[in-house]
Amino acid sequence: MDRGAIEKRLSDQKDLLTNLISKAKSNGIEQVEIYSSYGYSEDVSLEKNDLNNCTATEENMFGIRVIHEGNQGFLISNHIPSLYTSIEEAYQLAKSQSTPDPDLVLPETRPITNQFDTYDSSLDTIGIEDLVSFAKEALGWRSDLYDKINIDSGDFSLNKGYKLIVSSKGVMAHELGAELSASVMGMGVDGDLVGSFDYDSASGFTKDQFKTLWKKAFHNFGDKCMGALYAKPTTGFQGKVLLPPDAVYSFFLGLFIGSLNGTSLRKGKSKMAGKIGEKVASSLLSIWDDPTNKGFMGSTGFDREGMPTSFKKVLTEGVLESYFYNTYEAKKAKLPISNGCATGGAQSLPGCGPKQLQIAPGNANKDEFFKLPGKTLFVNRISGTKDGASGDFSGVVKGGYLLEGGEKIPVREVQIVGNAFDALNQIEAIAKEGELIGESSFVPYMLLDGFTITGVMEN
Amino acid sequence: MRDLLKECLSEESGFVELRYHHKESRSFFAERGRVESTALRKRTGVGVRVLESGTWGFASTSEVTKASIQNAIQIAKKAARLSSALRKDKIPNLPKANFAVGDFIGRGIEDFRSRSVEEKLKMVLDIQNEATKQSAKLQSVGCGYSEIYEEKAIVTTDGADSFFSLVRPEFRVSAVAKEDGKLESGSHSIGVTGGWDCLFRNQSPSQISEEACKTAVDLLSSELPLGGLSTVILSPSIVGLLVHEAIGHTVEADFVLSGSVAQGKIGHRVGSDLVTLCDSGSSEFYEGAGGTIPVDDEGVIPTNTVIIKNGILSSYLHNRETAERFGVAPTGSARAWEYGDVPLIRMRNTFLLPGDSSLEEMIANTKDGYYLDGAKNGQADATGEFMFAVQKAYRIQNGKITNLLKGVTVSGLAFDVLQNVDMVSKEFKWDLGSGHCGKGQPAKVDAGGPYVRTKVLLGGK
Repeated sequence: MDRGAIEKRLSDQKDLLTNLISKAKSNGIEQVEIYSSYGYSEDVSLEKNDLNNCTATEENMFGIRVIHEGNQGFLISNHIPSLYTSIEEAYQLAKSQSTPDPDLVLPETRPITNQFDTYDSSLDTIGIEDLVSFAKEALGWRSDLYDKINIDSGDFSLNKGYKLIVSSKGVMAHELGAELSASVMGMGVDGDLVGSFDYDSASGFTKDQFKTLWKKAFHNFGDKCMGALYAKPTTGFQGKVLLPPDAVYSFFLGLFIGSLNGTSLRKGKSKMAGKIGEKVASSLLSIWDDPTNKGFMGSTGFDREGMPTSFKKVLTEGVLESYFYNTYEAKKAKLPISNGCATGGAQSLPGCGPKQLQIAPGNANKDEFFKLPGKTLFVNRISGTKDGASGDFSGVVKGGYLLEGGEKIPVREVQIVGNAFDALNQIEAIAKEGELIGESSFVPYMLLDGFTITGVMEN
Repeated sequence: MRDLLKECLSEESGFVELRYHHKESRSFFAERGRVESTALRKRTGVGVRVLESGTWGFASTSEVTKASIQNAIQIAKKAARLSSALRKDKIPNLPKANFAVGDFIGRGIEDFRSRSVEEKLKMVLDIQNEATKQSAKLQSVGCGYSEIYEEKAIVTTDGADSFFSLVRPEFRVSAVAKEDGKLESGSHSIGVTGGWDCLFRNQSPSQISEEACKTAVDLLSSELPLGGLSTVILSPSIVGLLVHEAIGHTVEADFVLSGSVAQGKIGHRVGSDLVTLCDSGSSEFYEGAGGTIPVDDEGVIPTNTVIIKNGILSSYLHNRETAERFGVAPTGSARAWEYGDVPLIRMRNTFLLPGDSSLEEMIANTKDGYYLDGAKNGQADATGEFMFAVQKAYRIQNGKITNLLKGVTVSGLAFDVLQNVDMVSKEFKWDLGSGHCGKGQPAKVDAGGPYVRTKVLLGGK
């Protein structure tokens, strides 16, 4: 499957979906939206330090949304011949409801100014043979450099495809994309000693970009697994935690960003309701959302509803500047249009959220964080739970270190408990240094104070 | 469908496995006085797996025709041949298995088909409207009903030839309560393999809703427990999470081969005498466990696998490949979530056998500890270190349950926790609710057991 074939398929499908929507309108179904997601992928998987499986898959999913007099029906299907029947079924689902809301409508079309095409045709020369050679190289790195690490699973993928949205309101937008990606999961094993799991991944628009990022990711994975192999239990304490970019992004900030979701706000589930313009976090923290940044993975010119995306400030020196809205939630919040923050794809109804979060780097030097007096817990990853409404989180620290007196001691069986909204004000320093998470979101290292750390050993 | 698949295999030599899968999911959700969403998801296709030159190849197609399936077979074979040179540890022949042959029609499918969309919508709307009247502190109550109907046909060149269908309904309520700027959540969910009657056999929709709302409101006045190593009595829902997360994952044979903590421990003591742990494709003790499957995704009839017998590790969970490597019979544990997914070794219904004590005796015999209830989520590690999250922790002092505390994260080392089990109740319950397990792809599982007393590390203040 090459670019030419995908473009032909896309062109044919635009015609097909446009005709289906016209037919629906002529049969009295006024508001129809079809979101199409087509993907062709080749994959090579690893298991137990060996190649496991080679696969080739192709699928086109369609998310069909019909709104009838303020009620909505949604249907997902991968069967092209019965798409019109699916529109009728979605219509019936909408008609079977009795709780209409006049704010529930499909958005009117708006011009999309940022055009994205992240399909580099050089990937048309890549195939399973190349994925197998990437796998061979990675297995070589393991045996040459990290022979105490067991690769539990890994995956090398070449993905190509498009997304397309067409609606009865005139929305028509598409983007082509292709990428190489890889991931690896495993742990250190030395005799009877087994370390914690760790994981890393990389992706790229071209072969060269992918190879550079993947090599770095694999070595990062290896170092993390080795670091966790000889971990020991420790005592609990009250004090500082040092979060690397992954931990900042995946655990600490997730709850806060979730609370800015238009749906959570409307339903009274967000502690950030009514706080626009207020200081809700440390002055050290500034965040923005920029899906228009070409060159980052995941950047896009339109959202799940075909509305244009844009740069927006979220938090400036601790002051809250915006929430995330799709069309429905914008109307419920008395706004005329959404701010291009509808999330999801063919298999889900439009949600609300950011696309490409960026966190401003601070002034601190991250190396200084490792030399602090007293005890600091370096939290590589948290395996735990979090509650979106209260902001409470708790979990077991994985691949963590106790930083004490200039020493870096790997620890296990340590738990951390806190509250994400309180933690926004517990930020003591933000580093200049950070990482591009998922090749899309810049996130720096952060130092926070005032946490309860529970260890398995008696104090 | 079996006939079409067999026709596609008629000229094949070597090992080819065809898995037709049609899946329909319906979901209805109400919140804040209106139906928020209704969705119907339909996905159909055939997954093709071949074993050629000692390596797997896989391809899938959403077009269920002879030509398309045969084309996918050729793509899968090419993929296997391309990768064979790299694979060091070639897969030998697959072992003979207790293959399912024939049609296996699940219970409750007629019930699921005969109830109208309007009836299901009315239920979620009524329950949601009733719930918000329970307390002025309730900010929001969401009520959802969903059901997955599946049919599969699995045919292989070495003897599997079956068709099966099943339905899995689920019901869930989540509530958020607010007081003095503080927000707390409560949720309760159930899920079964079977019909509507099976779903609401033990609790009505109203009772489920009341429980979720009460938890949210009660937690407004709760505090964190003291952190540290603690004696705990685990409810069946928590026992379910424990045996699934802490033990079940470490004994999946693919994970064992990667070096999990259970490697090399068959025949070793890993728990107290009171611990007998099983994983079964059926529903032991009573019908309807959520992970029940009549046939696994390699066409094998699932067994009731005794993983730990009176504290001694006795078996891993196997697919056909690992069964061959370990020289044992497949346990029927290979499962795939969608037609485009490769079957992986997964748990089904994981449970601890009941013991002789009663819950009352266990509480009365606990001088200082916690009673933990309400499963949330959990994860396990290669080290055997696990964590799971609970909604509620009740303090036990001098043999009596006292105040409610916030449930937090519980962790420990799997085999240490089993070694510390010193009381096991007579009562038994499947209680993983609407839980799914993630391991590269989701799987519907269930778990449960009796009430169990042991020691774990409790996160807290």
